[in-house]
Amino acid sequence: MHADNGAAIEIAGLTKSYGRAKALDGLDLTVTSGQVHGFLGPNGSGKTTTIRVLLGLLRADAGAVRMLGGDPWRDAVALHRRLAYVPGDVNLWPNITGGEVIDLLGRMRGGLDRRRRDELLERFDLDPRKKSRTYSKGNRQKVALVAALASDAELLLLDEPTSGLDPLMEAQFQQCVQQVKREGRTVLLSSHILAEVEALCDRVSIIRLGRTVESGTLTELRHLTRTSIAVETAQRLDGMDGLPGVHDLVLEDHHARFDVETAQLDAVMRRLAPLGVRSLTSTPPTLEELFLRHYGDEQAVAR
Amino acid sequence: MNGAGHLLRFMLRRERFGLPWWLLGATVLVLVQSTQSQNLYDTPEDLAKLRESLGGNTAVVAMSGPTRLLESIGGEVLFEIFAFVSIVVALMNMFLVGRHTRADEESGRAELVRSARVGRRATLTAALTLAGLANLAVGVLVFAVTVGTGLPVAGSVLFGAALAGVGCVFAAATAVAVQVFENARAAYGAVALVLGAAYVLRAAGDVGDGTLSWLSPIGWGQRTFAYVDNRWWPLLVMAAAIGAAVAVAMAMLGRRDFGAGLVRPRLGRATASAALGSPLGLAWRLQRGSLIGWAAGLFLLGAAYGSIGDSIEQYVADNPEVAEFLPGGAADIVDGYLGLTAMTLALIGTAFGVIAALRARGEETSGRAEPVLATATSRAAWLASHLVVAAAGSALVLAAAGFGEGLAYGLTVSDAGQAPRMVGVALGYLPSVLLVTAVAVLAIGWLPRAATALAWTMVGYCAVVALFADSFEIPGWLQRGSPFAHTPQAPLEALTATPLVILAVLAAALAAGGYAGLRRRDLGY
Ligand SMILES: Nc1ncnc2c1ncn2[C@@H]1O[C@H](COP(=O)(O)OP(=O)(O)O)[C@@H](O)[C@H]1O
Ligand SMILES: [Mg+2]
Repeated sequence: MHADNGAAIEIAGLTKSYGRAKALDGLDLTVTSGQVHGFLGPNGSGKTTTIRVLLGLLRADAGAVRMLGGDPWRDAVALHRRLAYVPGDVNLWPNITGGEVIDLLGRMRGGLDRRRRDELLERFDLDPRKKSRTYSKGNRQKVALVAALASDAELLLLDEPTSGLDPLMEAQFQQCVQQVKREGRTVLLSSHILAEVEALCDRVSIIRLGRTVESGTLTELRHLTRTSIAVETAQRLDGMDGLPGVHDLVLEDHHARFDVETAQLDAVMRRLAPLGVRSLTSTPPTLEELFLRHYGDEQAVAR
Repeated sequence: MNGAGHLLRFMLRRERFGLPWWLLGATVLVLVQSTQSQNLYDTPEDLAKLRESLGGNTAVVAMSGPTRLLESIGGEVLFEIFAFVSIVVALMNMFLVGRHTRADEESGRAELVRSARVGRRATLTAALTLAGLANLAVGVLVFAVTVGTGLPVAGSVLFGAALAGVGCVFAAATAVAVQVFENARAAYGAVALVLGAAYVLRAAGDVGDGTLSWLSPIGWGQRTFAYVDNRWWPLLVMAAAIGAAVAVAMAMLGRRDFGAGLVRPRLGRATASAALGSPLGLAWRLQRGSLIGWAAGLFLLGAAYGSIGDSIEQYVADNPEVAEFLPGGAADIVDGYLGLTAMTLALIGTAFGVIAALRARGEETSGRAEPVLATATSRAAWLASHLVVAAAGSALVLAAAGFGEGLAYGLTVSDAGQAPRMVGVALGYLPSVLLVTAVAVLAIGWLPRAATALAWTMVGYCAVVALFADSFEIPGWLQRGSPFAHTPQAPLEALTATPLVILAVLAAALAAGGYAGLRRRDLGY
């Protein structure tokens, strides 16, 4: 079912401009088959543009793009039978009901599972008889989600699929994606909701200004960040502030709180152990921090 | 009322490009009619003859107005143009009020405004004031062009006031409709229905004893008998109707929730029918309403033309100057008239073809093409789906127009053969319509951002060349660019296959060229 090399999507050096504005500037992305891949980046960083290139709607200016073993531009129709897509901005035909849209898109893809469709409608609490013009943004998004999830596509391209959903529906969505993952299907999930990516994704790529700045498993990425430590020791904690990789230290005789670079974690632990550790809590780094580290300076530049 | 002033200024800003065209359209209609009527019937004798020939013609009265207006030349202008210009002004008001109230509420734009410190009634008040100002402008402009073309001052003031009054009635009616319906399109539909009823009621009234005309705002306007009796009191009837409708709208506004209407929208199907499963099924679903509307509209217009076909001979005998406008001259008056009107119908029908083809571009820019093209639908199939509807729909619209004209004319002369004959005549214009449509397709492929403007320029060019070639002395080479110039003007001339086949082949080639552009460009912007 999957390509032999194990990659559902392979993008290298992708460049795309809209007129004079450069949207993608040498983007790299590899999505392994059977994985849920998080595609993170702030607004305007080029997530949607990348997905539109993958759909063959936009033609790449430069770079190599392969998807499911084919060329997204040349083999669009054949590839589309094997994927399902949820747009970031779902626009529907005002006079057609949600149920009709789901069936229509499913049929044009090449069929949909009616039982699964009805189950999903129930799950997302969506009334399929309403005309699309009466749906809110969240409900339009649900229509696109049900249409995509009711398919048996081996690849799902989801462009910020939950930006209009409430927390209850967000939870339903996460369960659905877990299910898709168990079935061995591949998901590219563009998002700027970090909790969602942390909960669902095997691997993550972070892009910024049309370029990939970080890519790897969550574990790998955590190595690049800091772990928060709170510790209490039998002996007085001296000389902590001189240690490499320790930041934001708050020291109080036997108590200390600090952040440590993951790479220096081992050295710091060796230093603490002889002091007689009475209690220790460590908080793993979040993507939030990762994100802030990469975009903190961008915001500074923007200002 | 808090903030209505600010809102009004903002609305005026948003309308600064659209509104002038409506005003210009209404003014030009009156200007052309006033000039033409005074040229054609410049003596009291001419006018008396016209009264005799038109006064007894039911179809003309039903289309225009009460014959009492024919007592003076100014009244004649009113007779011919008031009903039509009323429709234009009514539509202007419908869109003005609808756009700034329900359409904004529906799109969520109004929510931003509402959350600012703006009173509950401010938006509707501002929109109605906007419509009032637009109607004032219509009134002043109509007064200016009627007096400017030499009609009496008192009648011209009344003409302008009556037209502005009709506009205000429809602004108020729209204000009610947008409270009742949750979406703007349904509200527009309801107002259009009222407008249609207003036209039909006055037609029935004018043909009969006049009672029914008093149920119609257009009837109220015509029954001022401006330039004839100069009656002012029908304006009071209008004022009463406006006041009542605005009061009802304000009361309903105070009672309903933001975003809601009084009528809940109906629920539709939970699953798609078998027909809605392909790009063509979708294109048909999207365009069928418009197609039915166009076919019905052109059928009626064709019937209106056809119904006076028989009396055209008598009319031309009374007014020999008119014969100059007919291609066959005085000899083949009826056939010349039928041919000219069939071509006019075809030119109007061209708009359907162009709208249907531009629908593809609309789908693209609105982002609705994207989910479709992300399925196993090729670009070719997607474009073709809209073009099939455009081409087959154009054929249907033309056939309906020809059928309407042939049927109505056939009924007046008791000749059943006229209907199929006129269907054939109208369908003779199909290759021309397709060629103009194909120009739109070519533009969609290669110059997508300019496609709408280019397509309509082509339509405008064809219309000007076809209808005004002789009066404006347009040079021959410029005329030959229009496909309509190469279509034999049946039934006066015989339909020959060669030009039609060439036009059709050219249309196919341009459409293919458009697809060649579409398949290599980025989609969606
Ligand atoms: N149709 C378009 N025309 C011009 N610029 C565009 C268009 N679409 C996107 N862009 C620009 O390209 C960049 C990337 O946009 P996008 O891919 O939509 O980012 P994201 O999905 O990550 O928010 C942005 O700077 C955006 O302004
Ligand atoms: Mg986006």
